[in-house]
Amino acid sequence: MSATASTYDVIIIGAGLGGGIAAGVLAEAGQRVLLLERGRDLRYRDIPGDHLRHHRLSLYGDNTTYDPTGHPRVFVDPQGRSRTVFPHEADYHNNALTVGGGARIWGMQAWRFHPDDFRMASRYGTPTGSSLADWPVSYADLAPFYERAEQEIGVAGDHAATDYAPRDRPFPLPPVPATPTGAWLARGAAKLGWNAFTPPLAVNTKPYLGRNACVQCRQCIGFACPTDARNGSHNTLLPRALATGRCTLITRAHVARVLTDASGRAYGVEYFAPTTPDSAQTERRKVHAATIILAGGAIETARLLLLSASAQHPLGLGNHSDHVGRHLQGHYYPVVSGLLPAGFENPNLGPGVSIATTQFNHGNPGIIGGAMLANDFVKLPIIFWRSHLPPDLPRWGLANKKAMRELYLRGIDLRGPVQEIPSPDSRVTLDAHIRDYFGLPVARLSGTTHPETIRTAEYIRARAEDWLRAAGAEHVWSSPMDLRLSASQHQAGTARLAADPRDGVTDPYGRVHGHDNLWVTDGSLNVTNGGFNPALTIMALAFRTATKIAAKS
Amino acid sequence: MPLTPQQIEALRALLDRLIPEDEFPGALAAGTDKFILQLLTHACAAETPIIAQSLTQLDAEAIARHDLPFGKLPIAAQDALIYELEHNRTATAWPTTFPANGFINRLIDLAAEGFYADPANGGNRDASSWRMIGYNPLLPVHPTAP
Ligand SMILES: Cc1cc2nc3c(=O)[nH]c(=O)nc-3n(C[C@H](O)[C@H](O)[C@H](O)COP(=O)(O)OP(=O)(O)OC[C@H]3O[C@@H](n4cnc5c(N)ncnc54)[C@H](O)[C@@H]3O)c2cc1C
Ligand code: SF4
Repeated sequence: MSATASTYDVIIIGAGLGGGIAAGVLAEAGQRVLLLERGRDLRYRDIPGDHLRHHRLSLYGDNTTYDPTGHPRVFVDPQGRSRTVFPHEADYHNNALTVGGGARIWGMQAWRFHPDDFRMASRYGTPTGSSLADWPVSYADLAPFYERAEQEIGVAGDHAATDYAPRDRPFPLPPVPATPTGAWLARGAAKLGWNAFTPPLAVNTKPYLGRNACVQCRQCIGFACPTDARNGSHNTLLPRALATGRCTLITRAHVARVLTDASGRAYGVEYFAPTTPDSAQTERRKVHAATIILAGGAIETARLLLLSASAQHPLGLGNHSDHVGRHLQGHYYPVVSGLLPAGFENPNLGPGVSIATTQFNHGNPGIIGGAMLANDFVKLPIIFWRSHLPPDLPRWGLANKKAMRELYLRGIDLRGPVQEIPSPDSRVTLDAHIRDYFGLPVARLSGTTHPETIRTAEYIRARAEDWLRAAGAEHVWSSPMDLRLSASQHQAGTARLAADPRDGVTDPYGRVHGHDNLWVTDGSLNVTNGGFNPALTIMALAFRTATKIAAKS
Repeated sequence: MPLTPQQIEALRALLDRLIPEDEFPGALAAGTDKFILQLLTHACAAETPIIAQSLTQLDAEAIARHDLPFGKLPIAAQDALIYELEHNRTATAWPTTFPANGFINRLIDLAAEGFYADPANGGNRDASSWRMIGYNPLLPVHPTAP
């Protein structure tokens, strides 16, 4: 085992969305940062434009995973049957494992949570069997950091119309261009008396921070952006960190455990990395630092806390009250499809998401929470074929082929990230049998969301149908929701924030309870996941936690 | 285990009906058969034995009904047989683990995957299906992303 001298103040595990932000803030504050990322630092040309292997349709692989077989997980279905799963399978609940994390290929919807998303239990009570709870952080606490994320990552939006949550400063970029489908849906919303506006997207609608504007291609979500207009931490805070000369990024560096002493202080990490950058040969290393930050995403961060068990902490770090890995959640996504009127002029340009309503995030009679609803990204032909042809159509033959050419540009669908009512039984544990390439127990995912989530999702599905019908869609269809585990791209909740160590894993700033210098800056912190895509909240929390760490050191 | 020439002939005949030619090229002209054969030797190699067996079974069904292998049937009889199998109405015994409708549905999916995916996958030659439906990824010729 080779040892690297303790030349770092901070070690960050994971150069994904949250880890990249922590690296930027801390390196600029003068700290020497070591950023360990298990994936590679992929260039545009390294991320194939394969329509069957990307992050929205990964039938036979995806376009970022460097080792498709070495890092399985175990998935336990609601009937209790377990099986080994690989990154391209839905039950793996993947996000991109690469420098930049999910944001390398994300859809860029950059929403602040609603103020009431931080106080769900106060507003609705906690249903029996669920772990619905308030955050120990309010919207007002997070607002300045939301603003920083919007300005420093680059979010395009309509300041005046985005009024469901108070905001001080306009977005730094003008909203994505209006589309004919957006205008058509806006008329539908007006008929119903609903609000509707251009959603905030982290995309360069004009050149910003030294990078080009979006050229509205039709291969957007799930792929790398040809003009680097898709904003995340990989093209903003991470390059800023590296530019200080104080941040070292090591890729294909797979952290195996966090090392703690008898008092619970974290003093370093153990990781596997190639012996030389391009070598297939790996070696085990130890490295020390005064502060350790976990940012591996909600599933892998929970796994690392569990893998780091020691004599003093036999259940894993931060796990004295048995919350690590629990409350695993994502979003339920009702999808409602329909057809635009025949002859509708549809230029079908990227990114595609161009209108949203926040009418149903809260205040739905008899329902807990709700969701933002929006139209969707430009659809790849194969995705349209698989999921958006009318269900009563033959699946083959001339009739199907003819429908593809007549209906492709008439396809329209609405969807919304339904706020989950979390369950403590939806969780990450360590599998007792299956090991990864390095011999470490893999993550085992089990349980389901709380059944209340289904009621909310069904309510939202009905509202999406109302919207398409009011707009004048010719045909409207969707499928009912079933009870299952939902984590996936929006995975969150496995190291939840709590003021009292008995109620969660991390303190209100993201420090692991009981471990003075061990912090988290990823989706694991989210107590609940809002009725919105979560990444802007993950970024705001990462800015806030990193600022706190910088101030302490 | 590669497919036999008879199985490949059945596969091609089936694809020709799943995505037929009209004013636009069909599956065979677009190379979708080659896409599937490629998949069956690589990513989906584990499925090859059962698909091979099912293609033989498809011929057996055709012979049981019309005394001709699937590829030699008139188009109308081919379409009628696919429809029957899609609804699991069979004249011969199919494996219970992979019934007739499972086989037909899998081939329908594979055909569409090849035909509507990006041309680099090999089943959408000259992006013919994309031109048919009015899709072009509109990627810049010279990407400026690093
Ligand atoms: C196709 C797609 C579309 C999306 N669209 C949106 C959207 O429109 N809006 C939105 O808000 N969100 C979206 N998301 C979700 C968003 O990308 C995630 O919420 C976000 O990336 C999570 O940030 P994170 O920091 O928690 O984790 P990640 O970004 O996943 O980063 C974790 C990083 O840690 C690394 N890592 C893990 N374990 C280890 C280890 N042991 N050692 C070293 N490194 C490790 C991983 O490789 C990864 O790079 C999308 C995701 C996908 C995949
Ligand atoms: S639509 Fe715009 S942001 Fe999306 S990949 Fe294309 S150029 Fe990039």
